[in-house]
Amino acid sequence: MTDDVETAPATSATPRYLAPNDVGLVTPRDFVCTQPFTFKSGQILPGFTLRYETYGRLNATRDNAVVICHALSGDHHCAGWHSPEDRKPGWWNNLIGPGKAVDTSRFFVICANVLGGCQGSTGPSSVNPETGRPYGVLFPFVTIRDMVRAQKLLLDHLGVAEVHATIGGSMGGMLALLFAIEYPHLVRRVLAMATTGRESAQAIAFNEVGRQAIMQDPAWNRGDYPRDGGPRVGLAIARMMAHITYLSDASMDRKFGRRKKETAHQDAYTFDIQFEVESYLRHQGQSFINRFDANSYLYITRALDQFDLAQAYGSLERAFSGVEAETLVVGFTSDWLFPPEQNRQLALALLRAGKRASYAELATDLGHDSFLLESEELYALVRGFLERDQPYAFAYEI
Amino acid sequence: MSRLVEKRTVDMQIIGDWVEPGTRVLDLGCGQGALLDYLVQTKQVAAVGVDLDFTRITACVRRGLSAYQGDMTEFMRAFPAKHFDRVICSRTVHELADPAAVILEALRVGRALTVGFVNHGFWKNRLNTLLQGRKIRNEVYTTDWYESRPANPVTIADFESFCATKEIRIARRAHLAGNWRTPCPTAPNLLAGYALYDLAK
Repeated sequence: MTDDVETAPATSATPRYLAPNDVGLVTPRDFVCTQPFTFKSGQILPGFTLRYETYGRLNATRDNAVVICHALSGDHHCAGWHSPEDRKPGWWNNLIGPGKAVDTSRFFVICANVLGGCQGSTGPSSVNPETGRPYGVLFPFVTIRDMVRAQKLLLDHLGVAEVHATIGGSMGGMLALLFAIEYPHLVRRVLAMATTGRESAQAIAFNEVGRQAIMQDPAWNRGDYPRDGGPRVGLAIARMMAHITYLSDASMDRKFGRRKKETAHQDAYTFDIQFEVESYLRHQGQSFINRFDANSYLYITRALDQFDLAQAYGSLERAFSGVEAETLVVGFTSDWLFPPEQNRQLALALLRAGKRASYAELATDLGHDSFLLESEELYALVRGFLERDQPYAFAYEI
Repeated sequence: MSRLVEKRTVDMQIIGDWVEPGTRVLDLGCGQGALLDYLVQTKQVAAVGVDLDFTRITACVRRGLSAYQGDMTEFMRAFPAKHFDRVICSRTVHELADPAAVILEALRVGRALTVGFVNHGFWKNRLNTLLQGRKIRNEVYTTDWYESRPANPVTIADFESFCATKEIRIARRAHLAGNWRTPCPTAPNLLAGYALYDLAK
């Protein structure tokens, strides 16, 4: 997921965090589970922490929770602002807030950093109590299912009786689907966007190049590096390459074209930055290494690669056979990482399994990251899916 | 209620009469889901609609219907034989690029198929063409030739001949007069304004 989706500029003197349809200033919290947690791999952690945020209120019947699931490089901060000085709000602020498509005046929105992550939840950069040093590659292998199971414990802790909807794009879509597969009685709706039931060879290949960039950096040191050090060059390259897969030829052409950097060296025969797209990617790589842990990147991309619903349950139809939720899958025409066809297959398999499922496809040219798009059409779809609760009286409309 | 809306409801009632309660129904070209919503509420069917348009899919989703945005033939190919109890193709066949392929695929995935269409052979339509010498434009055919989608105007005679050629069994037929209400059993290709067929293979 890219982190540079443009937000609308402030139109008045009111600070943006005080906008009436914004959740405003928010504070992350930590859920500390002190019970041992057994991973799919069989490895065990004595306990774990999940950092999370919530917006809105859990209602008296405890059934208005909406669980937001983040993508590979995302985190728990999906809406609002941590401080008035923040340059940007949470990554899905355009979708989530009072009166927005995911309406926090109706829903209790929960978003947690995944297990294995590096934004406050327990992951490879956490300190191993046995050694007093970061786990590094001694951290248990994490699967998407492990992430979902850990978040279920958070939901129990928060007293959630029923989940109105799980929502996610990309890897978040995998979590959202798996929630409804693993906890069919809990989840009423699933909204999965720009996602897949299993990655194609191409997607695995991109992840592997990213991992190799990290692991071939001598500073990786087999995963054993200090908190403020590590394979910064490798991680930046991994991010630069991954970032391209989140965009599209058309959107890059529109954003950068062949424009030259103003400061570019007059001499064309050098390897210094000449094109704006080079400068942009280097900036993306540099800003990523300041907020993301290289080992987490290895762990989470591995979890993505291993996610395979058809293989894990025998077939996609069998994976979905127990699902009680109704599902809405949304694909984006220009997404070449998890293309529309892979999204369609999820909806078709759900329908073959006799489940209630819809598929909508939005024509965009922004690539995989289109799910973060500011689009009234997308908002109307999301709102329509979440807010329709009772069938309304039949009207003879054409 | 406008005359056209009234006509639409007659259409829906007959289609509904042929649907068994609690069955699995697929609507090809479901639009905003009005027909499926009616069938869900009156017949408690498990409904799925297919349409090409994002905003129409949004309207279906808002109604709580399952709807799939995409090509109807490709959609049906993703399902095993007789997955649906009934497939409905209401006022869609004349807009298809390959109606035969859609109808035959619908008869594979569905135990039964309802086809409803405006009879282009209706005497007023014939007269209109004869006297005006132009493409028909009225409350049913609302668009000019340059703003319409590809259309294959179909008549009752055309359709029955197609069914005979393809060995499609006609289980029931409903021919309605120009008001789309009164049954019209005599010389339907000339006197019926609207036709509904219940097909099987």
